[in-house]
Amino acid sequence: MVVLKNIVKKNFYRDSVQLLHLSEEAKKIEGVLNAAIVMGTKLNKEILEREGLLTDEGREATDNDMIIAIKVKDESLLPNIVERIERMLTAPGVAEERFFYSIDSAIEYLKEVNLALVSVPGQYAKEVVKPLLEKGIHVHLFSDHVPLEDEIELKKLAAGKGLLLMGPEAGTSIINGVAIAFANVVNRGPVGIVAAAGTGLQEVSVLISRAGSGISQGIGVGGRDVKSAVGGIMTLMGIKALEADPETKVITIVSKPPSPDVQDKIVKYIAENTKKKYVTCFIGGRVFEVPKGAKGRLIQTRTLHAAALEAVKLIDQKLYEEARKKIFLSPKEVLSIADRIISNLEKGQKYIRGLFTGGTLTYETLVIFKELIGDIYSNTPLNPKFKLEDPWKSYKHSVVDLGEEEFTAGRAHPMIDPTIRVQRIIEEAKDPEVAIIMLDFVLGYGSHPDPVGAHLSAIRKAMEIAESNGRSLTFLAHVCGTEKDPQNAIEQESKLKSAGVIVLPTNALMALTSAIVAKGGISEEELSRFYETYLVGSEGG
Amino acid sequence: MEIKNANIDPVLKLFRSKLKVVNIGLEHFYRELKRQNIDVAHVVWQPRPKLEKDLEEILSKIM
Repeated sequence: MVVLKNIVKKNFYRDSVQLLHLSEEAKKIEGVLNAAIVMGTKLNKEILEREGLLTDEGREATDNDMIIAIKVKDESLLPNIVERIERMLTAPGVAEERFFYSIDSAIEYLKEVNLALVSVPGQYAKEVVKPLLEKGIHVHLFSDHVPLEDEIELKKLAAGKGLLLMGPEAGTSIINGVAIAFANVVNRGPVGIVAAAGTGLQEVSVLISRAGSGISQGIGVGGRDVKSAVGGIMTLMGIKALEADPETKVITIVSKPPSPDVQDKIVKYIAENTKKKYVTCFIGGRVFEVPKGAKGRLIQTRTLHAAALEAVKLIDQKLYEEARKKIFLSPKEVLSIADRIISNLEKGQKYIRGLFTGGTLTYETLVIFKELIGDIYSNTPLNPKFKLEDPWKSYKHSVVDLGEEEFTAGRAHPMIDPTIRVQRIIEEAKDPEVAIIMLDFVLGYGSHPDPVGAHLSAIRKAMEIAESNGRSLTFLAHVCGTEKDPQNAIEQESKLKSAGVIVLPTNALMALTSAIVAKGGISEEELSRFYETYLVGSEGG
Repeated sequence: MEIKNANIDPVLKLFRSKLKVVNIGLEHFYRELKRQNIDVAHVVWQPRPKLEKDLEEILSKIM
C-alpha cells in the first residue's frame, strides 16, 4: 500500500540548492514514488500540498525545520528508505575536499585571492564583504535583501580602493572568460558589457557569441546601481575599467531604465571621459539626446536583441550581415510563424501566458507587449494597475517572473529548480482561453543540468490536455545559451523542437511573435516600424 | 569621490590575472567554479551567534 510520510527535523538547516540535490537523489531510491526535502517555509509547504506530499506533521514545521516528505510504494520499505535519506543528509562531502569555516583561513590557504563570490543572507553581507574589500579583493555579491545603505557604503569603499563590487543582487558576471554565479560559456572577444540586469547580461553575451563575436569581460553591478540612491557607482567603474582594457573595443551597457539623473550621469561620463564605441540598452527607455562628445560613437537600443546586433555591427559589418540572415529572423519569417499559430486557434483561444525564469527577459517581454498591444498582467508589471492579484493565477494576457520573491523564498531559483514552473504549465493548459505558453530556458553554469529535459513531460501533458478538449496549445520557447554551455544549447533546442515547441532565436522575437498572435495579426508597415524601433539601434538626437 | 579620478589599476590587474576565488555561502557556486577548473576555496558560512559578537565587542573595548 502506498504510504505518505513527513519527517520533521527541528532546527536543521541545509541551503536550498543542497536540498534540491538531496530531493533528486531521494527520488532515485528504489520504492520511492515521489520525494521532496525542503525547509519548512510557508511557500515550501504550499508546494508540498500541491504535490500531494504534505501531512499534518509537515504542516507543523517552522522556517527553521527541515521536512523530509516521501511517498513510497509499500510501508515495509519505509524504514530502510528513511535510513538512507538520513545518511545522505549527514554524509560528509567528497573525502579529498577541504572546506573552510573561516574566511581568513580560506584566503591564507589559496594565496593571492583576487575575487570573492558572496551569497550569504543580505543582512550579513556588509560584515562579510567589508573586510574582503579592505584586503584588496574584488567581490561579486549575489545576495539579495542587502540594506541599501550598506550597498552605498560598500560601493563607495570599493571605488575608493579601485575595486569592483559586482552586486548586490548580481546574478551574472563573466570575468576573464569564467562564468561567475549564473553565466554562459561564450566566445572571448572584443565586446565588454556592464550590466545592471542579470539575464540581460546573459542574453546579450549569448547573442553576441552566437553571432560569431565574443565578450572581453561582463561586469554585473546589480539592479539598484542605476538608481539615484547608489548613483551608478559601479556602472561608471565598469565603464572606466573597460575603457582602459586593451582587449575591449566596444562597450555595451545593459539595464532596465535607470533613474533619469543616473542615466544623464552615465551618458555625460561617456561623452566626457571615453573614446571607445558604446551601445546603450536601457530596455524600453526613451531615445535621449547624445551629447557632442559621444556623437557618432554611441548607439542607443531598446532591446537585448538590438544591443547584441549593434555591438556586433560595430565590431564587424560582415559578421553583422551574416548574423542578421542566419540567426535573427526577418519580419517575413516572424509573420509566417505567427500566421501559422493564428490559423490553428480555436474560437475563444486568445490569451498569451509567459512563464519566465529570467527577470530581465520578463521585463523585455512586457516592454514589447506594451508597444504592440498595451499593458498586460504580471507579478512585475510595467504599470502597477496591471499587477496580478494572485501571482499563482494568470489573468488575461499574463507574463510571470518565477524568479521573484513570492516563488523563491527558501527555495532554489527556477533556473535550477523547475518544480513550480512544471506545475504552472499544467494549470495554464487547463484554461481553454490560452493560445500560447512562452517559456525561457536559461543555460550556463549555475543553471539546471538539463532544463528542457526537466520540462518535457509537462509540455507533452499540457498539449494532451488541450487536445483532449479539442484545442491545440502552442508552446514558444527561447533558449538563452550557447553550444559550449554544459547543457549545449543546440541539443536543448533540438529536444524542444522534437516535442513540437517553436523555438525562437531571441527573447525579443519570442515576445514579438506572441504579441502578433495576441493582436490577431499585424500589418507589414507596423511590423517594419517595430523592427526599426526595437530590433535595431539608433544614433538618437 | 568622482569615478573619473578612481584608480582603476586593481581592476586591470584582475583582468590580466588567473582567477583565485573564495566562495562564501552557497556551495552550488563552489561546485560550478570547480567544474570550470578554477582555483576556488569554499567557506561554509553561518551567522555568528549573538553572544560571540557581544563578547568580541566587549573585548575590543577593554583591550
